[in-house]
Amino acid sequence: MLVDSISTLNTVFTLSPAEIQALLLSAKVAICCTLVIAIPGVAMAWLLAKKSFFGKSLLDGLVHLPLVLPPVIPGYLLLLLLGNQGLIGKWLQTTFGVSIAFTWVGAVIASAVMGFPLMVRSARLAISQVDTGLESVAQSLGAHPWRVFFTVTLPLAMPGIVTGLILAFSRSLGEFGATITFVGNIEGETRTLPLAIYTYTQLPGGDMAAMRLVIISMTIALGALMLSEILERRATKRIGRGNVA
Amino acid sequence: MIDIDLQRTQGNFNLQAKCIINSPVAGLFGASGAGKSTLLGIIAGLIKPSAGHLILDGEYLFDNKRGIDIPLHQRRIGTVFQDSRLFPHLSICDNLNYGFNLVPQKNRRLGFAQIVELLEIGPLLTQKPYQLSGGEKQRVALGRALLTSPRLLLLDEPLASLDARLKQQILPFLRRVKDEINIPMIYVSHAIDEILYLTSQIIILEHGQLLANGNFHDIIHQDNVQNMAYSLGLENVIRAVVSKHELTYGYTELTQGKQTIVMPLITAGCGAPVTISIAASNVALSLSRLENISIQNQLQGVVTEIKQIGYRILVTVNMDECLIIAEVTAKARQSLGIRVGSQVYCLMKAQAIRPHGFITY
Repeated sequence: MLVDSISTLNTVFTLSPAEIQALLLSAKVAICCTLVIAIPGVAMAWLLAKKSFFGKSLLDGLVHLPLVLPPVIPGYLLLLLLGNQGLIGKWLQTTFGVSIAFTWVGAVIASAVMGFPLMVRSARLAISQVDTGLESVAQSLGAHPWRVFFTVTLPLAMPGIVTGLILAFSRSLGEFGATITFVGNIEGETRTLPLAIYTYTQLPGGDMAAMRLVIISMTIALGALMLSEILERRATKRIGRGNVA
Repeated sequence: MIDIDLQRTQGNFNLQAKCIINSPVAGLFGASGAGKSTLLGIIAGLIKPSAGHLILDGEYLFDNKRGIDIPLHQRRIGTVFQDSRLFPHLSICDNLNYGFNLVPQKNRRLGFAQIVELLEIGPLLTQKPYQLSGGEKQRVALGRALLTSPRLLLLDEPLASLDARLKQQILPFLRRVKDEINIPMIYVSHAIDEILYLTSQIIILEHGQLLANGNFHDIIHQDNVQNMAYSLGLENVIRAVVSKHELTYGYTELTQGKQTIVMPLITAGCGAPVTISIAASNVALSLSRLENISIQNQLQGVVTEIKQIGYRILVTVNMDECLIIAEVTAKARQSLGIRVGSQVYCLMKAQAIRPHGFITY
């Protein structure tokens, strides 16, 4: 009886190779996505926080569009643009022999597009909250505006930037619509955790596997959110805003 | 030398300043909203003027006709703000080094250790800005600006956010900087006493216009400054010489012409010239010398002018070498029968006399 239930537990909690593959792929895609959007995200956040220029609200709208659109739309647009028959995709293939559609790189691009607005929102808020008085005093001490950005603005905005990156990372782990539309659901190549869960729910007897992946996904997402909270608190303390609860 | 000829229009506010500053320390004085900080911001390079020029030691920093506008970070002008603006993510040591490290070795006129010692901030070096008191923060901000070896140091109400006790603690440091470090300074304040503690060279700004520029004692009597002086209780600004310190009773005796003036102890040697002031509202008039009264100063003179400004009646009394203005009520004037030519005594409490440029004990 006891032995029986232990072996049942064992089968419940043992991941199949396909499941492990989905987990690792998800991690790879999410990490790459975070790395890809870090610099453009900060640059865009800075642009939107500090500069005023013609067409700013249009740019702002475009950046945030993926947040409000059904994910299938960005996915479809990516397919039109970067698919093998797409505008850029065709050129990439004929010039460099590179194909993005239906590869894990495409999955990275899809989740980067979806995660970008989350990253920008958070970083933009953080950058705009940096006291401009500190930036001007740094300049009056002889620092070039670039140096001011890297030594004053960036460190002070870091908690918000880190939060943005973690949000984008979590978003990437959960990305479904744009990914499946743009790069399909290919096992070992583009079948990330959400896609694997979806696949198992469609299979007879796949419930247990789906549930295992659901638990894993929830754990990772929850962990990421808690981590962002801890990092933010620590960073805030480090820059000395006193006792932050 | 700073040659200023600047204009800036923003909305209804029009700033117009044209002057030449030659003194090592100049005080920029004016009420809140007079345009002091705007003018300082323009000199620092934080605010863009509409027109004019700004020349520091022969170098053009701004000239709209020649299209010159040296950016903030290349001006080599240090600024200390009311809010110390220390970098919260850096230690005090790194804050001090921020600008210092950007100055080429050959341009450094002040050493790190020298400034740390001068401002007594050694024990703070490893701390973070949030651990410091307001006064300590301002000393660090001052040190940080000085360490860039600036050609000009701008102080924008550096004491405004401190309480009276802390002000008294910081002022001597500012004087030390003035005395020991040869860097020209412009000190902005709406507190005339603070300015006079550091310098007697004053620029007065009112509603964006430059009213006067020169020695405090000379300009305070100018007609266009009079209204401002009266509203500040600076109707009577007198130059006198210290003749005696009476430590037992805690007072200092001054000589002004033939008159003797008693005031609370000040830190000036015998024979030193001092500038004092007493508000007209603190001067009472009497037709005869009073015997049984605590007021020490009873100066005899002749009424030369009686002016009414609104309900204020200002009586000018001439005492050979100086004029003293007393404010009396219409009723008092009537009952005493004061008119031009009357012989009167000006009664002044010793405690009501303010020395300028000293810390009183």
